[in-house]
Amino acid sequence: MTTQRWLLVDDLDRSRDAAGQMAADLALLDATAADGTPRLRLYRWDPPALSLGRFQPDDDVDVDACTRLGVQVVRRPTGGRALLHGGDLTYAVTLPAGPAPNVDATYTYVAGALRAGLARLGVTAEIARHEGPAGAVCMATQQGADLRVGARKVCGSAQVQRGSAVLQHGSILLERLAFDETDLVAGGHDRAALHAATVTLAELGAPTDPRTVADAVVAGFASALDLDFTVVPTTLASTSRRG
Amino acid sequence: MDYPEDLKYSSEHEWVAVDGTRARVGITDYAQDALGDVVFVSLPASGTAVTAGGTCAEVESTKSVSDIYAPVSGTIVDVNTALDDTPEQLNSDPYGSGWIFVVEMTDPGELDALLDAAGYRSLVEG
Repeated sequence: MTTQRWLLVDDLDRSRDAAGQMAADLALLDATAADGTPRLRLYRWDPPALSLGRFQPDDDVDVDACTRLGVQVVRRPTGGRALLHGGDLTYAVTLPAGPAPNVDATYTYVAGALRAGLARLGVTAEIARHEGPAGAVCMATQQGADLRVGARKVCGSAQVQRGSAVLQHGSILLERLAFDETDLVAGGHDRAALHAATVTLAELGAPTDPRTVADAVVAGFASALDLDFTVVPTTLASTSRRG
Repeated sequence: MDYPEDLKYSSEHEWVAVDGTRARVGITDYAQDALGDVVFVSLPASGTAVTAGGTCAEVESTKSVSDIYAPVSGTIVDVNTALDDTPEQLNSDPYGSGWIFVVEMTDPGELDALLDAAGYRSLVEG
């Protein structure tokens, strides 16, 4: 097996608003569609943001609560349901789609790398079972895209395929904020059930420092997928590079 | 995997059933299997002009969003609004009740660029 070359965008210390983060992920997708080179980007959200799935109804959001708590609201290009960012580390992977793309195969491929990264933090995660259509809150249900520790979800992911490339991004839970999705999603949701369905690295006794976790994720991708990363700034990674 | 002989296929995994100058379009059995359980279909509006190879609908499955492309150019003259309530028909009956839209073709010659069943099978099975 030949070592693959990927581009790595380390955006942990780069500030963007929520819309800017989604634009950066889409720029990564366009670049991979143009040149066929896979990319991995790692980033955080400050201020916190609630991201909605591509087709999630607007009225799932309690806009007043988001305003009061200083939470930005953004729509993802990917599927799934509402996810609160701020206490997480987010990854974005872009891959060439190939002539016969398969959603689950991509999830499984990336999950192997994420599991290897979490293992470096002492966390043994498994690919979540499929529970069928989700409710309004992403983390409250597990689907084939997700990673769990025991029965509790530690990482949720979603995809979009456009043209000849796939973007998969997802959220690794580092620690809980003072509020959660149940404070931000309209219609009333069960906070205890959400907490019972999820687990953070902090609760697992694993490192939560974003730099430490990011380094473990990068190392996990490199070892599990046999990759050689070239570190590039976002501006270059979002521009088609050939050769 | 099912590849009906009487249909044309695009390399983006749509099928086309031709009736005169009209083309009924859906996604293939391979595509529905690769997508997983479909939970939402964003349909084009009737009257929309489409260009072969252009995006004209989207499908969500298992937290994944995928574009659906127009295999031929023309105008959308009918859409399967039943998919609003039962998007899972794309999985259960991709060549029948899971059809997505009908195009009134402006250039039926574009059909010649599509694959036959054997060509499509070769694309997805290698």
